[in-house]
Amino acid sequence: MRDFQVAIIGGGVIGSAIAWELSKYNIDAIVFEKGSDVASGSSKANSGVIHSGINSSPSSLKARFCVEGNQMFKSLANELGFQVNWIGKYVIAKKEEDIKELEHLKGVGEKNNVSSLEIKNRLSVKLKEPNVDCHAALWVPTAGIIEPYEFTIALAENAAENKINFLLETKVTDLKKQKNGFKIKTNKGEFQTQLLVNAAGLNCREIVSMLEKPDFNIYPCRGEYLVLDRNYHSLIKSMIYPVPKKHSGVLGIHLTPTIKGNILIGPSAEFIDDIDDKKTTDKTMKTLLKEAKEIIPNLPNNSIINAYSGIRCKLVSDKDGGWADYRIEESKKTPGLINLLGIESPGLTAAPAIAKKIVQMISQYIELGYKKRLKTVKKRKHFSELSEQNQVKLIKKDKRWGRIVCRCENVTEIEVAQALSNPLDSKTISSVKYRCRAGMGRCQGGFCTQHIIKIMQKKFGMNIDDITLRSPNSKLFYGRTREVKDE
Amino acid sequence: MNEKTITCIICPIGCKIFVKTNGKRIRFTAGYKCKKGIDYAKNEALDPRRILTTSILVKGGEWPLVSVKSIKPVPKDKLFPILKQIKKITINAPVISGQIIIKNVLNTGVDIVATKTIKKQSIN
Amino acid sequence: MVELERLKMSDLEVDIAVIGGGPAGLSAAISAKQKGAKKVIVIDRNNWFGGILPQCIHDGFGIEETGKSMTGSEYAEIYIKKAEKKDIHLINETMVLKLNNNKDITVINRNGLHKIRAKAIILAMGCREKTRWTTMIPGDRPSGIFTAGVAQAFINLYNIMVGKNIVVLGSGDVGLIMARRLKLEGANVLCVVEFLPNPSGLPRNVVQCLDDYDIPLLLSHTITCIHGRERLEGVTIAQVDKKMKIIHGTEKKIKCDTLLLSLGLIPENELSKAVGIKIDNLTGGPIVNQFFETSISGIFACGNCLHVYDIVDNLSKDAKNTGQYATEYANSQNKGINNNNKYIKIIPGSGIRYVIPQRVTKSGKVHFRLRVEKSKEKSTLRIVDKNKEIFNKKLNFVTPSNMIGFNFNITSELLKSSKNLEVVLDE
Repeated sequence: MRDFQVAIIGGGVIGSAIAWELSKYNIDAIVFEKGSDVASGSSKANSGVIHSGINSSPSSLKARFCVEGNQMFKSLANELGFQVNWIGKYVIAKKEEDIKELEHLKGVGEKNNVSSLEIKNRLSVKLKEPNVDCHAALWVPTAGIIEPYEFTIALAENAAENKINFLLETKVTDLKKQKNGFKIKTNKGEFQTQLLVNAAGLNCREIVSMLEKPDFNIYPCRGEYLVLDRNYHSLIKSMIYPVPKKHSGVLGIHLTPTIKGNILIGPSAEFIDDIDDKKTTDKTMKTLLKEAKEIIPNLPNNSIINAYSGIRCKLVSDKDGGWADYRIEESKKTPGLINLLGIESPGLTAAPAIAKKIVQMISQYIELGYKKRLKTVKKRKHFSELSEQNQVKLIKKDKRWGRIVCRCENVTEIEVAQALSNPLDSKTISSVKYRCRAGMGRCQGGFCTQHIIKIMQKKFGMNIDDITLRSPNSKLFYGRTREVKDE
Repeated sequence: MNEKTITCIICPIGCKIFVKTNGKRIRFTAGYKCKKGIDYAKNEALDPRRILTTSILVKGGEWPLVSVKSIKPVPKDKLFPILKQIKKITINAPVISGQIIIKNVLNTGVDIVATKTIKKQSIN
Repeated sequence: MVELERLKMSDLEVDIAVIGGGPAGLSAAISAKQKGAKKVIVIDRNNWFGGILPQCIHDGFGIEETGKSMTGSEYAEIYIKKAEKKDIHLINETMVLKLNNNKDITVINRNGLHKIRAKAIILAMGCREKTRWTTMIPGDRPSGIFTAGVAQAFINLYNIMVGKNIVVLGSGDVGLIMARRLKLEGANVLCVVEFLPNPSGLPRNVVQCLDDYDIPLLLSHTITCIHGRERLEGVTIAQVDKKMKIIHGTEKKIKCDTLLLSLGLIPENELSKAVGIKIDNLTGGPIVNQFFETSISGIFACGNCLHVYDIVDNLSKDAKNTGQYATEYANSQNKGINNNNKYIKIIPGSGIRYVIPQRVTKSGKVHFRLRVEKSKEKSTLRIVDKNKEIFNKKLNFVTPSNMIGFNFNITSELLKSSKNLEVVLDE
C-alpha cells in the first residue's frame, strides 16, 4: 500500500494550489481527483474573476484570503505562465437609490484595504463604456480576470512536474482513521497518508462523513452562464456588475469579459437539491439574456455560442441569507483531517492565499524543507497570439505549427498534440479544449473534432471506444461503421 | 384490394395519391395532379424500388471506407438482405469510382458500384 | 492535386484566388479558366477537395445539371477531375488567415506562412452548422450530441459509429438523410422531431428516409430538455401550438444515447466580416451585385457562403457565372461595385425572405434568386418601383425550401431613376 505524508482529496483550484505550494518542498504528497482532469467541477465553471475584496465582510476569512490572494496574482501569472488582465470592474447603479449601496461597498472595500476605489458619474462611465447605461458606478481597478481552468491546470501541471502525484479518475470511497494517519480506499486501490486535506468542493461533506458526523450541511447553489461570440468582445472593456441584492449572498448577474474575448453573462443563483445537477434551464437562460440587455441595450440576439453552469458550495441556505464564511480548519474530532468547507466566491482569488495557509498548517505536523531545484513551467504557446515572424520561425522548426485544426480559434495540430501530452496524462476532448482552446469557438467543434480524434488515434494510439468528452462514461462513439476484421 | 396512400416525390408539391391495389393491378381513386404522379404511384404501389447507398471497408487506402451504390433501384423489400451482403465485403485499395464491387447482387440484376475513388495509402 | 512542395508558395501572384474547394469554389475556378484566366488557385483547409460532398454518399445530386442522379461524392469527383485537367492549382490543408481589400491573402500550411496577391478573389467558404446554442436547448451537456453533418463525416468518412439509439432534431434534408443512414447501419432511429407543422426537407426524403423505415416524424414538437450527466440518456420532447409556444402537459421523455441536430446552416463569413465586406442579415452572406461582387471591389462570393442553396446544381451554375465575372474583372480591372455611383437596392418585401443579388449596378438582364416566407398554392411574384408594378409572374406552389429563379431586365432608365426595387409575393 502506497504511503504518503499528505493526501489531498480534490483536484480543483484549491487542491491544485495546495499541491503546487507543497511541490516547493521535499514531501510525499498525492492528489485524488475523481474527474478525468483537474478543474472538473466548480473550478472551471465560474466567472474567472480575481476579486478585489469589496464584497466580503471585513475580518472574514473570505475578505482576508481574497485580498491576500489578489495581490499574489501578478507574480503568480509570471511564474506559472498563465494570463491575467487587470481590466477592473464597474459596479453600476441602475437606479438612483442604488448609489447609497455603492458608497457602502466602497466603505467595505476600504475596510478590507482595497485600494483606489472611486465612485464615477454617469458621463465618466459612458466615456469608458459607451454601451453601458447607469446613474453612477463604483470603479474597482484591482479586479482582474483569468481563465480559471488555465490557472488550475498550470498549478497542477507544475506541481506534477515537481513530483506531486496526481491520480485522475480516482474517487475516494472510504476513509479510516488509523493511529498514524488515515487509510484511503479508492476505486484505484488503497493508500495510506499521515495528513488528509479535504479540498473536495461540493463533495466535502461526503468526505467528512466517512470519518465523523458532519456538523454542517451543504446547500448547492447553481449559477448558469451564457457565453458570447468573440466577435462582440468590444461591447465592454471592464467587468460590469449590478449592485448586489441585499441578503442574497450572491453577486448578481454580471457581464465579464474573458482573456480571449468571449463575454460571459451570469451567473444566476438558484438553490438546488443535487450537487451534481449542472443543467442550464430555459427560464434562467432567457433571464440572463434579458438582464444582460438591461445593461447593454444593443446586445444582439444571436451572439450566444455556449452556455454552462457551475455550482456554489454554500454552507447556509437561502432562508438563512445565503452568506457564510469559509471554514478552513483542522477537524476537532478527527485530528490530521484539514477541512476546506464552503469555498465559493471569492474562492478562485483566495486559492493561492488559502494554499499558503494550508501548507503552514501542514508544517505544524511535518517538517518542510525546500526542494533544491524546481522544474520551471513550460508555458504553452498559442499560435493565434504570436507575431507573424514567430509563427514563421515555429513552422520552420516543426511543420505541425502550420496545420490549423481549429478554425474558429486558430489552433494548430502541434498545440493539440502538446495538450494531449500533458504531465497529468489527461486525454479527453475537454483536456484538449481547456489547454489549447480547440472546440471553444462558434462552431463548437464542428471542424476540429474530427482532427482531434485523428490525432488521438494516430499519434496517441487511443482506441475509438476510449475517447471521452470529459469523464470516464462520457464516451463519444459506439464502435465502427464497419468492423475491421483481423486476418 | 388494399388501400394505400402514396406520397408522390416527383415534384415539391408531394401530392398524396390514394390507390387501391391487389399487388398486380392498381386503381387510382384520388389525389393525383399529373401523369408523372400516376406513373410514379403505379410503380410505387406495384413494384417499389430504391437506390441503395452505403459504404464498404477498404484495406490499405487513404480512407477506411469507400461509398457504394446500386447502379439501379433495387426492390425495396430486398434492401436489408442486400445490405447484409455488402457489409461482408472488404476491398483492397485502390478503388476507382464506378468500379463494380458486386455484380448482380442477390440475383436482382443490379450491380453495386463504388462512388468514390480511394487511392492507396502512401507509406508516410 | 498539386503537392504542397511543388508549388513555390511564398509570395505568389495569381489572377484568381478561390477560397474554398467545394463545388462552388471548383465550379468558379473551372469557369475562370474557361474564360481565359491564366493562374487560378483554389485553397481548401481540408486535405480533400469537394467540400462537404465527399461525405454525402446518398444520391440525388446533379439531376438538373446532368440528367443523372448521382451521389455527392461522384459529383465532387467530376468537378475535381475537370479542375485538374484545366491545370488549376489545388492547394489543400491550407487555411486562409486573412484578406485585405487590396486582395492580398495570408495563408498558412505546413510549408509556412504565405502571402498571395490576387487580381480577383472568389469567396466560397460554404457554411457551418447551427449548434445547440443557436436555439439554447436547455438541460445537461453530455457527450452524444452531434450536429448532423459531423455525425455524417464520422460515419461515412472515418468509419466511426456515433451511437445506437438515435433522436434527430430537425427535419431538413440533412436530418432526414442521416436518419436513414443510421437506420441502414443498424442503429435504432427513434424519431425525427420537427418544430414546424410541416417537414422542412423534400417530400422525396420524407418518403425514402422516414416512411420507408417507419421512423416517426413528430411535427410541431421540440426538445425541452436534454438529460445525461456523462453520455446522453434521453430527451424530453413537447408539443408546440400554432404560435410556436410549448403546450405544457404534453412533455414526454424519450430514452436515447444520441441526439443529431439538424437545425440549419450558417454561411461562413468570418473572413468576409474581418475585411469589412458588408453582410446581408437576411442571407447571412455578403451583399452582392448581379456579378456576385461584394462591397469590396474585386472580391466575389458564391456558393453557400453567399446564401444557403437548395440544390447543388443551382449553386454550381451561379458559381460558374461568378468565375466568369471575376475573370472579366481581373482582365479589365474596372468593374467594381465601388466604381459605380448609381445602383439599385433590391429589397425583399412582403412574402419574400430574401433576394439575391441585393444590388444592381449595371443595366442588363439580371438573374434573381429568392426564397419565400411561407408555402403558397397560387401566388404572384411582383417587382415594384415606388408603388408601380414593373414585373409580374404567376407561380404555382411555392415553398421556402425551394429557391425560385427568374430573369428581369434592368433598363438604363430604371437604373437612373430608381433607388430601390421591392420584390413581393402576393396571393
